[in-house]
Amino acid sequence: MDKNTQTEIFFGPNHPGVPGNYGINYEFEGDTVTSARANAGHLHRGFEKLMEERIWIKNTALVPRICVEEPDINEMVYAMGFEAIGEIEVPRRADYIRSIILELARIQGHIFSIGGNAAGIGQYTVMHWGTLTRDYLLDIFEEITGARVYHIYIRPGGVRQDIEDETLDKILDLMDELENERFPDLQKALFENPNAQKRWQGKAVITKEEAIEMGATGPVLRANGVPHDLRKMMPYAAYDDVEFEVPTGENGDAWDRIKIARDDMLQSIKIIRQLINKIPDGPVQADLGNGLKYKIPKGDAYVKIESKRGEYGYYMVSDGSLKPYRVHVRGASTPLGLYGVREFLPGTRIADVPVWAKSLGICPPEFDR
Amino acid sequence: MANDKKSIFSPVTAFKNLVKKPETVRYPAESNDAAKRYRGFHINDLEECIGCSTCQEVCVNDAISMVEMLDVPAEEGQRNERPQIDYGRCCWCGLCVDVCTTGSLEMSRDYSYIDLDPDTFIVTPAENDINQVEHPLGYLRDQSSDLLDLKRIEMEMLEPEERIDSFIEIVEGFSKEQAEKEASRCVECEICTETCPANMNIPQYIRGIFDDDLEESLQQIYEDNPLPEVCGRVCTHKCEGVCALSHRGEAISIRWLKRYAVDNVDSAEYKQVLGTEKIEQNNKKVAVVGAGPAGLSAAHYLSVMGYQITVYESKEKAGGMMRYGIPEYRLPYDALDKDIDYIESLGVNFVFNTRVGEDIELKELHENYDAVFAATGLHNGRSTRVPGTENNNVYQAVNLLADIARGKEVPVTKRLVVIGGGNVAMDIARSMARIQKDKYGEVDITVTSLETEDIMPADQEEIDEAREEGIVFKPGRGPKEIEINEDGSLAHLCTNCCVSVFDEDMNFNPTYDNSDIENYECDMVIEAIGQGGDNSYIDDQFEIEYAGPRIKINDYSQTSVNWLFAGGDIARGPDVINAIKTGHDAAVGIDKYLNDSLK
Amino acid sequence: MRNEKDLLQLMNAHFEPLKLEIKRKQNVSVEFKKEELIQALSFLKSHSYRHLSTISCVDWPEEGEFELVYHLFSYDDLINISLKTRIKRDPGIFQTAKEIWPVAEFYERDIHDFFGVKFKGNDNLEELILENWQEIPPMRKDFDTRKFVNDKYEWRDYNGQKHTD
Repeated sequence: MDKNTQTEIFFGPNHPGVPGNYGINYEFEGDTVTSARANAGHLHRGFEKLMEERIWIKNTALVPRICVEEPDINEMVYAMGFEAIGEIEVPRRADYIRSIILELARIQGHIFSIGGNAAGIGQYTVMHWGTLTRDYLLDIFEEITGARVYHIYIRPGGVRQDIEDETLDKILDLMDELENERFPDLQKALFENPNAQKRWQGKAVITKEEAIEMGATGPVLRANGVPHDLRKMMPYAAYDDVEFEVPTGENGDAWDRIKIARDDMLQSIKIIRQLINKIPDGPVQADLGNGLKYKIPKGDAYVKIESKRGEYGYYMVSDGSLKPYRVHVRGASTPLGLYGVREFLPGTRIADVPVWAKSLGICPPEFDR
Repeated sequence: MANDKKSIFSPVTAFKNLVKKPETVRYPAESNDAAKRYRGFHINDLEECIGCSTCQEVCVNDAISMVEMLDVPAEEGQRNERPQIDYGRCCWCGLCVDVCTTGSLEMSRDYSYIDLDPDTFIVTPAENDINQVEHPLGYLRDQSSDLLDLKRIEMEMLEPEERIDSFIEIVEGFSKEQAEKEASRCVECEICTETCPANMNIPQYIRGIFDDDLEESLQQIYEDNPLPEVCGRVCTHKCEGVCALSHRGEAISIRWLKRYAVDNVDSAEYKQVLGTEKIEQNNKKVAVVGAGPAGLSAAHYLSVMGYQITVYESKEKAGGMMRYGIPEYRLPYDALDKDIDYIESLGVNFVFNTRVGEDIELKELHENYDAVFAATGLHNGRSTRVPGTENNNVYQAVNLLADIARGKEVPVTKRLVVIGGGNVAMDIARSMARIQKDKYGEVDITVTSLETEDIMPADQEEIDEAREEGIVFKPGRGPKEIEINEDGSLAHLCTNCCVSVFDEDMNFNPTYDNSDIENYECDMVIEAIGQGGDNSYIDDQFEIEYAGPRIKINDYSQTSVNWLFAGGDIARGPDVINAIKTGHDAAVGIDKYLNDSLK
Repeated sequence: MRNEKDLLQLMNAHFEPLKLEIKRKQNVSVEFKKEELIQALSFLKSHSYRHLSTISCVDWPEEGEFELVYHLFSYDDLINISLKTRIKRDPGIFQTAKEIWPVAEFYERDIHDFFGVKFKGNDNLEELILENWQEIPPMRKDFDTRKFVNDKYEWRDYNGQKHTD
């Protein structure tokens, strides 16, 4: 090939086509990627180090900031790690509230990223709708937790405050509205749009074998027909009390993954309705004593839960002091954002790079933490 | 959801939005109010806030710093500092609200502030938030989100029926588990340190208990207090009165924690832990008059500094009021001896049964020693001097208590009246109750005091426990006369109603209502209305200044005679911990004086 | 489908683990001698533990050791197993696992960045997150964050007040 047709492009770290402050360095031949290299590090905030220097309770305000897309997931994994090492029993009502929060967060995250995906192929209307719909969910969060994005609500031992019945009713109303009004619009505007289907079908394929080999989980794996979901495989919070299906795809492509996101939201609505119907009364926070002196025994735990993009895990070590000795964050998209970029991007055409990056749910802050 | 058919007409449905009302809020024409729980800008009730700095402690981003506020008075139990928040750092997590000890810090629903000057983003929250506009309250701490542990661990005590017939110690003390849990409640604000008369390192020794490092606790305690076994039991614990936690919950059991720490270090290890195995001597000699808490405290700190100490004590054992005043059920002799034995092991020389002024003159001490510390205390009971007090069946509480401590048999009758509302009155009433129970099988003791129960100087817990033991209280009564039968035995104590104890200037000046008379039948009366001292051993030979009834001392417990230092009740009352402080001050002062840095 | 006990038995039968522990339901942890760890990884991979969640590193300066923890998961057994081993802090060299899981290359690079551990067989240990890092690796316990910040950055003066640390 003629050397003149080879181009090197720096994509990001500030580019609407990549999610977050993260760069990918490409080489192209014509408009086809021949090599790609993840260029992370623009977003490094040193969270793991910061956490080692702060007492347990302070870190609850830190963890949600690790990943903008999934703040509640981070709060939950952190709390679970603390509870696993300290062998702390969480009140059942708190388990239910946690599940409600996590499912609301899942819908919020999916609707946002479907919008982002749509923007990646030029469907900006849908992106605005996504942002708008998310805002109604954020209103609910604001009512439950006092904040819109970083809730600092799930705490070791339970949740910060109880949900009022009035708010539960509002959630149910919003779920109806999503199901009956907003999702049908989305369906028509995006999923039935021949243009969108064409842009996504057969693109950014990752097979089951490839996914398992690199440790990709969530929609990336499920798009290949395997219903692997930690909510079912290792139930946490109140997921063992609800019935739901794990949506899967067939072809392992971007189209399947986006459809999984959509179907996941419908399952979440189903889960939330069940949870609200069955939520028990009782306290929402275990008695852990003085917040400045949380102390758990020496020990370690790897805890993981199903984020909207798959396995989100923390490896936490306690040396019996007032601060965590080590917290290691394993973000859902870590293998994809670093390894996947190099292995699977080559061969993609330049216009499909955003399809690739966004449909795989790459969130740089969680590996560049 | 519907199957994913393909139709180029499907997206056209979006056009229906052209005729719909926009969902965007038209700000500022339309207001966009935050939710009820919204974590907005901070507001702080400056009156309620005590400047404990716990919010600063919990702040994730170091956004909070404490600034001195000149218009807020520095009162007992609070600092004149208030939190200042840097909104360039704040992340609105609200942990400061969850941890606020007084509940003064709250959040409004206000969320928008714009200014070109970055300096304006640093504010000291007050009644209004950063925008200086009144906004409805936002996020409020509730029971689930509260980060403080407001309930104290109950101290186990002997039941009244178990304790009433013996002098066994009532308070059982914490177990390791209880102590660590109680210690974990501390927020380490150090408000208590400022209030403690001896400025003990309270949060530090509590932290030692929490960390299961009792040696650290012991070291911290001995910094300011060489009688912790005593103070761990009978201290008036002013610290607990100002504990930051007491604003919304129960104060930390500081006194019992101190007791736990010292009870659980073996006295054989004291020297090694406290680093006093080998003390370099400096060949200077100091005499201490009186082996009470002040004298022992001075002796301890001086001998740790290398001075040769001789303590002159008129009684047969050391301890002063701690031994001869406080009953064994509150302070067992073993505990007292543990503290004293350690001080003695430092090389302090005790001369017992020697009264300065009688057996040896102060002048001689002045000649033979480099400095003298006088702490002879108040051992002479005062009398009400109402008619009848000269009768043989009227006794002084301090004398009886001392005899009980010596193991002597004390007179006791079936019906007893105690006059007085302080802790000494409680001590004698409760001691006599035990002896009565032992001798007659039942308790019949009435305590009368001028003060009504709300202003009685005795500790509330003493009053409650006395009541549990069957003692009857008649507060607000003034003794008028003790009526005596013809055979010389007592008939009854005649009292009138005490209308007020203090006058408008808060001076002691009781007024009585003589139309309200009550008689309490009794065959023995014990007076416990206060004690006086006898400083003639000083006054006869040296001229020293007084401040009211007490000897005037400076910050180093130095009297107007430069080689003479004084402490304890003769210089500053009223309790053990104040005595310890004056003794410690004197030790520092004498050291300075003998090294020429104090005149 | 194995349960937690079966898994530990399997480990005991094939290796000489230093410590076996059922942490909680569906979670076990096994400590190996460093010579056995890579073998154990490939053994487990061929026994359905095909999912490598991540590799964690913990610094234990008092013992002079780094602890490496490999988190594996089996979609058949539904058990999470954490394989641990300790290596000397100095020189801090271990074997790569990238022959077993190619993705491990990146986890190892991350650990190399933050702890300075080298992985034999992984040639591509160039900086992943950090750039032109001159200090000791930042996640080591002896790296002083505050000192680094004070040396590297200037504090802003607020209201004319100098920042005091």
